Amino acid sequence: MDPALIGYGAFASVILLLALRVPIAFTLAGVASIGTFLIFALRTGEFMPDRAIRPTTSLVFSNSFDLIHSYDLSMIPLFVALGHIAYRAEITTRIYHAARVWLAPVPGGVAMASVVGCGGFSAITGSSIACASTMGRICSPEMLRMGYDKRLATASVAAGGTLGSLIPPSVLFIIYGIFTETSISALFLAGILPGLLSLAGFVLVILVWVLRDPAAAPRFDGTISRSEKVQAALAAWPAGLLFVIIVGGIYGGIFTATEAAAVCVSAAVLIGFAQRKLTFRALWNAIRETCLQTTAIFLIAAAAKIFVAFTALTGVAQDVVSAVQAAELSPVLLLAAIAAIYLVLGMFLDPIGIMVLTLPLMVPLVETYGFDLIWFGVVVIKLLEIGLITPPVGLNVFVIAGVVGREVPIDRIFSGILRFLSADVIVLILIMAFPVLSLLIPGSM
Amino acid sequence: QSLFVGEAGPNRGARADALQWFADTATELSDGALSLDIQWGGALFKANAAVSGIADGVADLGTIIAVYFPQEMVAYNIADLPLENPDAWVGMKATDELMRNSDAIAENLAQQNLVYLGTFTTSAVHIGCKGAAIRTVEDIAGLKVRGVGAYGDTFQEYGANMVPMSIYDAYQGLDTGLIDCSQGYSYATAALKQQEVIDSYTLLNWGQVGALGVFANKQVFDGLDPAVQEALLQAGEGMADELGRLITADNDAAIQTMKDAGVEVIELPAEERAKLVETSKQFVDEWVERANAAGLDGAALLDEYRGLIDKYTQVRDDQGYPWEDS
Amino acid sequence: MLLRLERLLLDLAVLAVIGLGGLITATVLLRTLFNSGVPDAIVIVAELMVAAIVLPAAAVTANRAHIAVEVVTNRLPPRAQDGLIVFGTCFGLIALAPLIYAGWREAASALADGGYFFGELNLPRWPGRVIFLFGVSLCWLRLLVMLVRDVGHLRRGERIPQDTPAHLVEEA
Ligand code: NA
Ligand code: NA
Repeated sequence: MDPALIGYGAFASVILLLALRVPIAFTLAGVASIGTFLIFALRTGEFMPDRAIRPTTSLVFSNSFDLIHSYDLSMIPLFVALGHIAYRAEITTRIYHAARVWLAPVPGGVAMASVVGCGGFSAITGSSIACASTMGRICSPEMLRMGYDKRLATASVAAGGTLGSLIPPSVLFIIYGIFTETSISALFLAGILPGLLSLAGFVLVILVWVLRDPAAAPRFDGTISRSEKVQAALAAWPAGLLFVIIVGGIYGGIFTATEAAAVCVSAAVLIGFAQRKLTFRALWNAIRETCLQTTAIFLIAAAAKIFVAFTALTGVAQDVVSAVQAAELSPVLLLAAIAAIYLVLGMFLDPIGIMVLTLPLMVPLVETYGFDLIWFGVVVIKLLEIGLITPPVGLNVFVIAGVVGREVPIDRIFSGILRFLSADVIVLILIMAFPVLSLLIPGSM
Repeated sequence: QSLFVGEAGPNRGARADALQWFADTATELSDGALSLDIQWGGALFKANAAVSGIADGVADLGTIIAVYFPQEMVAYNIADLPLENPDAWVGMKATDELMRNSDAIAENLAQQNLVYLGTFTTSAVHIGCKGAAIRTVEDIAGLKVRGVGAYGDTFQEYGANMVPMSIYDAYQGLDTGLIDCSQGYSYATAALKQQEVIDSYTLLNWGQVGALGVFANKQVFDGLDPAVQEALLQAGEGMADELGRLITADNDAAIQTMKDAGVEVIELPAEERAKLVETSKQFVDEWVERANAAGLDGAALLDEYRGLIDKYTQVRDDQGYPWEDS
Repeated sequence: MLLRLERLLLDLAVLAVIGLGGLITATVLLRTLFNSGVPDAIVIVAELMVAAIVLPAAAVTANRAHIAVEVVTNRLPPRAQDGLIVFGTCFGLIALAPLIYAGWREAASALADGGYFFGELNLPRWPGRVIFLFGVSLCWLRLLVMLVRDVGHLRRGERIPQDTPAHLVEEA
């Protein structure tokens, strides 16, 4: 049987199984394992299962184990833990007290503060998922407690978390830069304006949402004195210190992003104990929750990694790109086709997997059209970030769902995401139509 | 017949061009009986899973980078030793001849279900620094250095503080000051845009990381027609000339790129290099012990390899590089 | 019995996270203050990551915390939804089987060959692989127990209980 046929069958099976509520990790790992087995068993034309066992188990093991067996990705549990610990050490509450105090008069102020906070946190983390999990831990429970619309309280942070890869530093930009041999510093600089533009788009979505449906965000009708504002801001010093440790540490060359994550966790624990807000028991429970949450995320990522390797065997992705190439599209149509491919892949797969799979095929295509690779990188990262919040596999949405638990079902979060996606689409079109948005800052270097 | 090829690197650059040349040449030599489907970017397996990926048949053949497999690839690791072996083409020809003709190595690989087809190299190891310049070995002390293998171990012997980091993170590390220097190869240093962040680049001319090449699954290979096997072996042997041509040109262009970017290019004086070679001797001895432990005659292999390096250095000096034929 | 084991493994995962966080912090402190480091820290952190990520897998399963897409099936009658939960559990048993087989092969060969990570300490390869095999196997066992119990509920005409076993996550 043709591997491509097995590939298309697998894609259809994944959609069916996901619709039938089979957990995502099981769906991707199971379909990829069976599909890989079939491809190897049918390679000679006849069915020879004996020959398929060894390559199938090897592919399944190395792709899942190597993802988990990783120094760099240890920053994910650490940044998740930072959120839980900061929450139990009451560092978070004080950020929110300050945010509430300062933004109270604005309609939807806390949701806006969450998105702005995501933007700020993005400047100190390279991973969208770490951004969503940390800020989700801080913002979503607070907004829910304040009586915000559940969709707004969750979707704003899931969307805001996607800023993590566009605003530097960014793991995705580093991987893109290496695969395309483009300057990583130029890519970092190129992400700044599109990142801020996305942030502004999200704030605008919240404003429109709250103006049209005032009940979505409880109105504040007291008055706050200047000294209260100053006091609230000063009480948030531990958060400020963590911020300085990360920014100063990374930009000052004292440590890497992974090390920054560990140092911040240690600092948060010290601050928590020093202020007598954190107990050993609370710390232990915070990390227990971290483990349960991180495991659920990694199981999906590992399964997606297996699925990516299986997809490579089928040649399906390559077929799609070859078809695009053969069609000799106009530049605008080509960009639309590329966007469509990334959006479809983004529905199911993780960003790093998609890049690994597509960039080797995309870059020659893009170069024949004479596009700027730095600008194209910004477009790709934006598309991948959109993939983090599109159903059915929206990793940022799952992270937020893990944070808020049963209180808000996943489909409610996705329904809130729709409004933020509309802003994302407009920002994406702007980035595509006006390369200067991406190239202005790196060009002025 | 279509075979899967697993390659952890991207489909750009000199090594990718050489691998594509290998695939095209093998197809041509087999009169079209063979086609190779290269899976780039580690889509099937990453570099650190290449040995099991090929031996288990995830891909039928593929690139193995020996630094990830100090046990399995102990014989091949000889090409990573600091043996005053800085010429890319000479290194590849010597490595290829050793790997191709040693029965002991072939037997060692066969036990792992592998067959050697042909070799690449990353070319000579040099070092780029920001806010520092290595002119003598004394300059190394106290520097924060990213380095690998016996080269990194030697820097440490001279008082460097080793910072564990991949070559891809080196740009950011140099930029932020997390590291002062990064070990690398000229074409890669330029491809990773490190000339934007380094002030000096010292040509060590000390050795190379040359133990990376194409291997096949033995079971699959044994099942091929003899004519197809021969096509693969012959294409593999030709890789040294093809990559030698490409990488030598790329390295020359990279040095020029660095100079244009205002980087000071320093030639390490011969007496300083002699100190590096002397200090790194212990790591060569270590390799001999590891090879012996794996049932190979380490000292004999080393002698043979040194002889081959001398032989191809002589060939180069007498006849020039094969691509320079006038 | 299974619940106690899951809780123990979860606590071991907590230790692994504390360990890797502490180890990385120590690396930074040693480097900035004393210009030195922890040997093979990268390998140790990666091995601890396996413990941190894989050991809680059974507890996540017991919590019914696997992420699934519920949009499509939410409007189905409760019994049909419960039927799909059982189907998902069955598919999980199928999906994890190749991982367990592969993990067993890898763990066995790492133990037999004495494979190690090349570095200052030449740390053995087997601990991470054995932990991986153990964590995934226990997850499979938990799925099997859930399948048996859930089918029992369905047969008796009851709903499948959705509540989290309270002893897994305690609030302080
Ligand atoms: Na970021
Ligand atoms: Na998605």
